[in-house]
Amino acid sequence: MAIDLSDDILQDFLVEAGEILEELGEQLIQLEASPNDSELLNAIFRGFHTIKGGAGFINITPLVELCHRAEDVFNALRQGDKNVTSSLMDVILKVHDVLNTMFDEIKQGIEPDDAEKELLESLERLMDDEAEASAVEAVDTTASTPDVTEQPGIENDAPVAGESASSSTEKSNNDDITDDEFEALLDQLHGKSDEKDEVRSEPKQPSSENFASKSNNEEMDEDDFEKLLDNLHGNASPGSAEISAGSSKGDNAEKVSEVNAPDASPTIKAVEKVKPKSVKKPEEKSAKNPAKQVAQQTAETTVRVDTSRLDDIMNLVGELVLVRNRLATLEASTTDEEMSVAVSNLDLVTSDLQSAVMKTRMQPIKKVFGRFPRVVRDLSRSLNKEIALEMMGEDTDLDKNLVEALSDPLVHLVRNSIDHGIEMPDDREKAGKPRCGTVTLSAVQEGDHILLRIEDDGAGMDAKLLQGIAVKKGVLDKEAAGRLTPRESYNLIFMPGFSTKEEISDISGRGVGMDVVKTRITQLNGSIIIDSERGKGSTIEIKVPLTLAIMPTLMVMINKQIFALPLGSVVEIFHLDLSHTKVVDGQEVVIIRDKAMPIFHLREWLIGPGSQAENESGEGHVVVVSAAGKYIGFIVDKLLGQEEVVIKPLGALLHGTKGLAGATITGNGKISLILDVPGLMSSYASRI
Amino acid sequence: MAKTRVLVVDDSSFLRKRIVEILEADHHLEVVGTASNGLEGVKQVEKLSPDVVTMDIEMPVMDGISAVKKIMETSNTPILMFSSLTTKGAAATFEALEAGALDYLPKTLSDISSDTELAKRKLCARVRMLGSRGKIDSKVNVASSFEAVEVQSTVTSIPFNIRDYKLLVIGTSTGGPAALQKVLPLIDADFPLPIVIVQHMPSSFTQQFSERMDGVSKLSIREGKNGESLRPGQVLVAPGGCQLLIDKGGLYPGIRIKPAKKDDIYKPCVDVTLKSIASDFCPSVLTIILTGMGSDGCEGAKRIHKLGARIWAQDKDSSVIYGMPMAVANEGIVDRVLPLNDIANILNKGQ
Repeated sequence: MAIDLSDDILQDFLVEAGEILEELGEQLIQLEASPNDSELLNAIFRGFHTIKGGAGFINITPLVELCHRAEDVFNALRQGDKNVTSSLMDVILKVHDVLNTMFDEIKQGIEPDDAEKELLESLERLMDDEAEASAVEAVDTTASTPDVTEQPGIENDAPVAGESASSSTEKSNNDDITDDEFEALLDQLHGKSDEKDEVRSEPKQPSSENFASKSNNEEMDEDDFEKLLDNLHGNASPGSAEISAGSSKGDNAEKVSEVNAPDASPTIKAVEKVKPKSVKKPEEKSAKNPAKQVAQQTAETTVRVDTSRLDDIMNLVGELVLVRNRLATLEASTTDEEMSVAVSNLDLVTSDLQSAVMKTRMQPIKKVFGRFPRVVRDLSRSLNKEIALEMMGEDTDLDKNLVEALSDPLVHLVRNSIDHGIEMPDDREKAGKPRCGTVTLSAVQEGDHILLRIEDDGAGMDAKLLQGIAVKKGVLDKEAAGRLTPRESYNLIFMPGFSTKEEISDISGRGVGMDVVKTRITQLNGSIIIDSERGKGSTIEIKVPLTLAIMPTLMVMINKQIFALPLGSVVEIFHLDLSHTKVVDGQEVVIIRDKAMPIFHLREWLIGPGSQAENESGEGHVVVVSAAGKYIGFIVDKLLGQEEVVIKPLGALLHGTKGLAGATITGNGKISLILDVPGLMSSYASRI
Repeated sequence: MAKTRVLVVDDSSFLRKRIVEILEADHHLEVVGTASNGLEGVKQVEKLSPDVVTMDIEMPVMDGISAVKKIMETSNTPILMFSSLTTKGAAATFEALEAGALDYLPKTLSDISSDTELAKRKLCARVRMLGSRGKIDSKVNVASSFEAVEVQSTVTSIPFNIRDYKLLVIGTSTGGPAALQKVLPLIDADFPLPIVIVQHMPSSFTQQFSERMDGVSKLSIREGKNGESLRPGQVLVAPGGCQLLIDKGGLYPGIRIKPAKKDDIYKPCVDVTLKSIASDFCPSVLTIILTGMGSDGCEGAKRIHKLGARIWAQDKDSSVIYGMPMAVANEGIVDRVLPLNDIANILNKGQ
């Protein structure tokens, strides 16, 4: 039966069956730990049964066949006719993998083939009696097979054979180490220098094992949406805004007489127009049969909304925020009581609207976390390590885009922890640790961002060793390396120069280096830091803002031009007598609390080298930002205050300009460029 | 005329939506609610009092069979089960029928009919039929002891002696399993006639059905095999998906099982069986047409009636669907119209 992706019914099936498949993944891993849990067995049985039912409805026979046999196995299990064995689990996990692959094919519009005969036969054999044990060994459990075996060798700058996925083999640049070298390197760091170790490239995880599924539809609670609209139409009670209700009452010292308010009315109208579209079901359905629609609404309380529509709404809310900022600025300079009150109300409502719209795009991070039990299980089996995975905060919500974007980097980081961090059980025992290593994944919301943490109780990292490599690679010179704190040393692994410079556009899980992970995170306006204690373990902390579209910033002025710095990166601000700077290693620094902190004149980067400071007073403001765990100071002419802005893309001409994340319109109605701190650093200060 | 109000119970939201879509497309039907597990289903029945409930079997929290039992405690709402055409599906379906569900259909459309549109129409038709039936007490009461009941028939009966006959053929469709459960287990072990059951049922079900019946009956009940001979004390059930013909045989009649042709409407078909016994066995044939949709058996009954065979039909009140019995009754060829509960008794009495 040909796959017609435009068929709503098919999409419907993919959504439901996709969720069930995800759940099955988790449940199967749980089952290994509690093989006699009859609730679990029943649930898994029903999972296969339901997918089979749906697949039968739309006539995708390969799915039906496979699920049917799996269902039979679990029926026998749940009735107590059979017991769970690890070889049975292997077969069933393989079935799960194959189902995922079939799903991916369907999502791409390809009709899946029948499952391999061997797999089907293995399943049948499971239903016969003890023949299963031997027969099942023949099944190829591919997910955990290492691809490549490599001899670690830092000395070896030559391209490494066999690492086919990584184009590092093409690099002749001796400053870069290849992925293998890097992996080997990490092994060395974790004290495995004598062992011949296996370097593996990321086995292909079903790449669109996509929890925020690729079918572009979002379920939104109709009640929430109604409330949303009620609020829009003035039924709002001035509620408390939960998230990022950053005060935008501009602390704007400048009084601007020139009024340059963008036209407010079209944006409001546009928001209103959105209402009927989004509440109605997709056009085809409602055209066909209004009666159906009524029935569905009594039956279901969700509405399917295209994510692009939610993006539109988000955009419009963004515009609204800008207008509100403008009004707030104007309000500050008015004495009109009524105007003040009205603007206050607008402020509250806008904040509420912003939160509400953001929430429509939120998904629990459980969708990402769901992959991990399987990843950990497969890795621990293939490496012969004992690993326990703990997950906390799975219900923490974040923006759908973030969920998708974080998925692969997180997997990579967890694999890293297990691969390089957790020691072999015997080594752990010798070190007085429990044989079973623990990896803890946690997510918690902190104000306007999410904090993700990956902790392992493994061997920790060796700062000295890392410093040595940095020097060797020419990333730092010896003294600079020597002055690094241990924490700064650990974070060296994220630096470009430590691994390949390739920009990976599509993270499919192959050859992803740590710096690519970092790039990914910073692209999300997030930050990643690693800390470690030798012998005890390592912790990776990732912070990502709750939303990509709206961001609190610090407005600064440099040479009469306004720039915005992401407030999340700003640590402190102080006033500086510019004659008090020193130069260390050719880098201008300032001594703060007995530590030297590098400072940069943003003017030179942004306006032009050699441009004269407008302000000849010899004094300036230093904005201290944190980047990669280090603190650096930016010298600016004036501080304008905090403002919550909507990030607008730069447009085709300016796109890709280094150091800029976008642009926005300030409360004054002027255009401000938004700075991207990591981008600035890598473009202009690559020595750091 | 008011629309038939339907409640759809299924744990798969995908299938729920699809079933609702199909049913809503029929303007005689109105889906008044859905439920995603048995417990919700029970609550919805209480709340909405639908005319018909479609019920899935495998569900979390409370499965379909338990839900049927619970619903039957408070109301006799007609319930249509959606069955997987497998052995376990069959067992579960029969349990549901025993618990009080009225009818069942395959869960997969393609098993209802290879033509999707036809399958959808059949589903809607079935739901409508069950809904308009009204609430009847269909709970099977196998263990009930019952006394001899005065025979009430709507047709003046010609004197009847069971010893005059050599063969009993029972034809049935919708509501058959439950009805047969009120007849077969109650027939005495020394019943003199071999019995052939022709019931519209999927092939994966007839085996299970036969085994179940055998377990609670004094007679030996089996799915018929090609070439088997028909002896007293035996009940042979026509296998689903096949046609059963009866040949004169030697000492005893023999049965012939043929796989049904693709376009056969009924597999097995009562008419086919009855027509096969016309020449060789009449007039010594007694045929009972029990509850069922349609009119299968009518043509065959007419033919054997002409040759002197005797036809009985189940009455309207006790029939789940008064279709097949009505067809023969309307032809004027029915000798007795009987309430279900009387049939075994009369057969045992032999008169």
